Amino acid sequence: MSTDALDLPQGTLDLLLLKTVALEPQHGWAIAQRLHQISSATLQIRQGSLYPALHRLERRGWIKAEWRTSNLGRRAKYYALTRRGRTQLEKEVALWRRLSAAVAEVLDAV
Amino acid sequence: MIQDVLHRLRSIFRRDVVEREVDDELRHHFDLQVNRYLAAGLTRAAATRQARIDIGGFDQVKEEHRDARGTRGIEDFWRDARVAIRMIRRAPLFTTTVIITVALGVGVNTLVFSVVEGLVLRPLPIDRPERVWFVQRPGSFVSHSFPLYRELRDRNRTFAALAGYRITMMHVETPQGPAHTWGYLATGSYFDLLGLKPFRGRFFHQSDDVAPGGSLYAVLSYDYWHTTFGAQDSVIGTTIRINRQPYTILGVAPPAFRGTEVFYRPAVWVPMMMQAQIEVGNPWLDNPNTSNTWVIGRLTDGVTPAQARDDLNAIVRRVAVESGDPTSDPDVIRLTRPGLVGDAIGGPARAFGLGLVALAGLVLLAACANLAGGLAARGADRQQELAIRVAIGAGRGRLLRQLLTEALVLVAIGGAAGTALAALASAALSRWQLPIALPVQFDTVFDGRVGVFALVATVLTAVGIGIGPAIRAVRTDPHASLKVRDATVARRWPFRDVLISAQVAICVVLVAGSLLAGRNLFAAMRMPLGMNPENTMTASFDLGLAGYSRAGSDALRRQILERLRAHPGVQDVAYGNSFPLNIDQSNTAVYPDDGRELSRKDAARAVTYQISPEFFRTLGIRILQGRDFTWQDTANSQRVAVINEALAKQVLGDTPPIGRQIRFGAGGASVTVIGVVETGKYQTLTETATPAVFGSMLQVPNTTTVILVHSPRSRVEMADVLRRVVQEADPVLPLIGIRPVEDIVGFVQLPMQAAALALGAFSILAATLAATGIHGAVAYAVSRRRRELAIRIALGAQRQGLVQLLLRRTFILVVIGTIVGMALAYGLRTVVASVLYVPVAEPLWFWVTVIGLISVVAAVACASPAWRALRIDPAAALAAE
Repeated sequence: MSTDALDLPQGTLDLLLLKTVALEPQHGWAIAQRLHQISSATLQIRQGSLYPALHRLERRGWIKAEWRTSNLGRRAKYYALTRRGRTQLEKEVALWRRLSAAVAEVLDAV
Repeated sequence: MIQDVLHRLRSIFRRDVVEREVDDELRHHFDLQVNRYLAAGLTRAAATRQARIDIGGFDQVKEEHRDARGTRGIEDFWRDARVAIRMIRRAPLFTTTVIITVALGVGVNTLVFSVVEGLVLRPLPIDRPERVWFVQRPGSFVSHSFPLYRELRDRNRTFAALAGYRITMMHVETPQGPAHTWGYLATGSYFDLLGLKPFRGRFFHQSDDVAPGGSLYAVLSYDYWHTTFGAQDSVIGTTIRINRQPYTILGVAPPAFRGTEVFYRPAVWVPMMMQAQIEVGNPWLDNPNTSNTWVIGRLTDGVTPAQARDDLNAIVRRVAVESGDPTSDPDVIRLTRPGLVGDAIGGPARAFGLGLVALAGLVLLAACANLAGGLAARGADRQQELAIRVAIGAGRGRLLRQLLTEALVLVAIGGAAGTALAALASAALSRWQLPIALPVQFDTVFDGRVGVFALVATVLTAVGIGIGPAIRAVRTDPHASLKVRDATVARRWPFRDVLISAQVAICVVLVAGSLLAGRNLFAAMRMPLGMNPENTMTASFDLGLAGYSRAGSDALRRQILERLRAHPGVQDVAYGNSFPLNIDQSNTAVYPDDGRELSRKDAARAVTYQISPEFFRTLGIRILQGRDFTWQDTANSQRVAVINEALAKQVLGDTPPIGRQIRFGAGGASVTVIGVVETGKYQTLTETATPAVFGSMLQVPNTTTVILVHSPRSRVEMADVLRRVVQEADPVLPLIGIRPVEDIVGFVQLPMQAAALALGAFSILAATLAATGIHGAVAYAVSRRRRELAIRIALGAQRQGLVQLLLRRTFILVVIGTIVGMALAYGLRTVVASVLYVPVAEPLWFWVTVIGLISVVAAVACASPAWRALRIDPAAALAAE
């Protein structure tokens, strides 16, 4: 566990979760691992916020859950992106890009 | 959106499954995390520990899940409810007290609402009832003469329709034999005005009610059709014999419609034009001096009640002028709500209903104060528990909800029990038959509105008693509570103290009210009646309905008296058309006849009776001057009358009354006064000296007959004798009833008895609540201060001083409550007096008694906890710490 792991800014977790399950259905632990790895161990997601967020997204109909047997032969709950989730993801990605571009511009200018 | 709802529903109904899934998911995560650390080379113990740290507390995570699922509120409610039920099991005494208290409070209120709903609030089951009004004269004489009704009907421009009607009795020959039956005489406009649809057949209309004596039609009530005609459709169109004439049955009224009076259950409606045939021997359709017609009207659309009232009053004034009679004084007409005969019954009924609602509300308030005190004490006891829960991260909102849920569960059980009790009592009340001839019934209801009322009362009670203590408990500062065991926040006026004073105040109001009612009832029972109703039985029948001629009536009545007189044990016998305090009273205007021009202001309205000789002796009415009637005062001799003292004073002034002439009505015959009797009570027990005039039945015939027998023998025996004698005289004469005079007079006391009973029950409830409230507060103080008291005792404090220390505060609270309560009672006394129709004048001793009773209640409530405080063994108490 890296000690310099960052907590996520408010509201970005949903975006990252949607993005992570966009490629293929994943279970919760794998999602957390994937985020950790892709972000070069910068992003650390605590279980306490991961599962409530997944359930929230499921309730909104952006992802759907399914019980499957994992590679290791255990039953696990896999989350997959829905059509509405994909639309939402595109919207949020666009939003994030605009926001980060704007923030970067401000930081560069001053 | 739909998915969201489904998700939530699944969360609620498959809660166990959902919880298990969350558990599995977290377990899966945990195991994979452990595997990762194992793969990284950690020992199993270290890997498990590290995974646990990563995850945080399992339960904490699950709690957060529940939040995310969005079904939090409902799930928490069930959990809290289960906790509450566990708490109920743990503290059975406390919870039983709470449940009983709530059941009484809610039950009393629901019962009162059901009575008031049935009697006053519920509109008649007619078309647009808000447009229909009862047209009444002021005061308790609400009816009009039929000629005046005709004028009002023909001249008004504000009513779509007016109808005249009257409650009456008739002699119906049914498939089950002849019977006296109660119904309505009603004009042809009656049913059309009400906008009713017949259940079977048709109603009579205006065109069916034009031929006097020739409109032989009848409409049956649904109940009567069921009970007497077996609900047969075939009876429609056939005839029944009423007063020996054949009436065609036109139709059946709808089941919900029981006439235009809410307390009365009629069997038959007959067109008004049959009045002379239904009320045999007393035709009044063309008599402007007999006011026997009740009038209702439906307003024309767009007309306000005030406009209609002014319109009618203008007509009444014009009619008075046109009549040219100086004694005719125009009535002042008012519009009142239909259903209770205007102000005659509606006035007292509405006042009584309002009084009951207020009293029941007070009891519920006292119950709430009591329970809030109890819950607050419990809340203080649980301060430590709550403080611990706050400290380990329980949300205050969540705690607040849990405490409220506990209160709600307790109150819900109590409320359900109270509602069930009220339903039983309400059903019993509507089955109750009054001891009078009229088919009067309290039509209490237990419908949806009553149910909603009970529910609202229960929820308000729950919130009322739960919210204060809950907020207080939750506001607890965990640091302070956990540090010090007896952390009491010092306040000048703690919440619980205010509640104690409030309970005492309500208790004082109710005790003062019921003492007042009891005193008035007692006074009324000792009030001189002007007669002696003891040991006198009555048998009543109507000879006109049975087809007797005038001479035949006199002969039959005389024959019955002779046979009764011959019976052993019979002391006095007489008859009359009625007697004082009977339900059937008539009155007439009496004028002095001394040759002067008559004017309205010389007249007195006097209660009128037609009686036989020895009527006064049989009822124990004293003759003050002159003589009684004799059997020689017949149609062929001089017309004579006996008047009471009040009438003598009012009409004849101070001049000697014997031998003076008086007239009944402006155009009536001149009658000589032969005697003066004492003034009694004639219509109510609380009336002031009322004029009364007695005529000889031999001179003024009346077919309504009440036989009176005075005998020391038992009621049962005399009732038997009366029945047998009447039957011997005429085997087919139907008896209206055989009743002791005492019972009938008792009926007059009914409103006062009901008021005294209700107030008594309410004040016992309130006193009990105040006592348990004070007891709870003192007992609680003793248990909380056990250690302090023990130390004081150990240090040598006088036990007397300890009691003072403990009770000083309670004493102050009781005194404050008493003062507030007495001020309230004093302020409300005019309201109470109007409900009980009594003068208001409480002597000093009355208030002293109230204070004395409250002191006793408070002393009893304090006794046992104070005794326990005195017996604290300091060694044991301190050792227990």
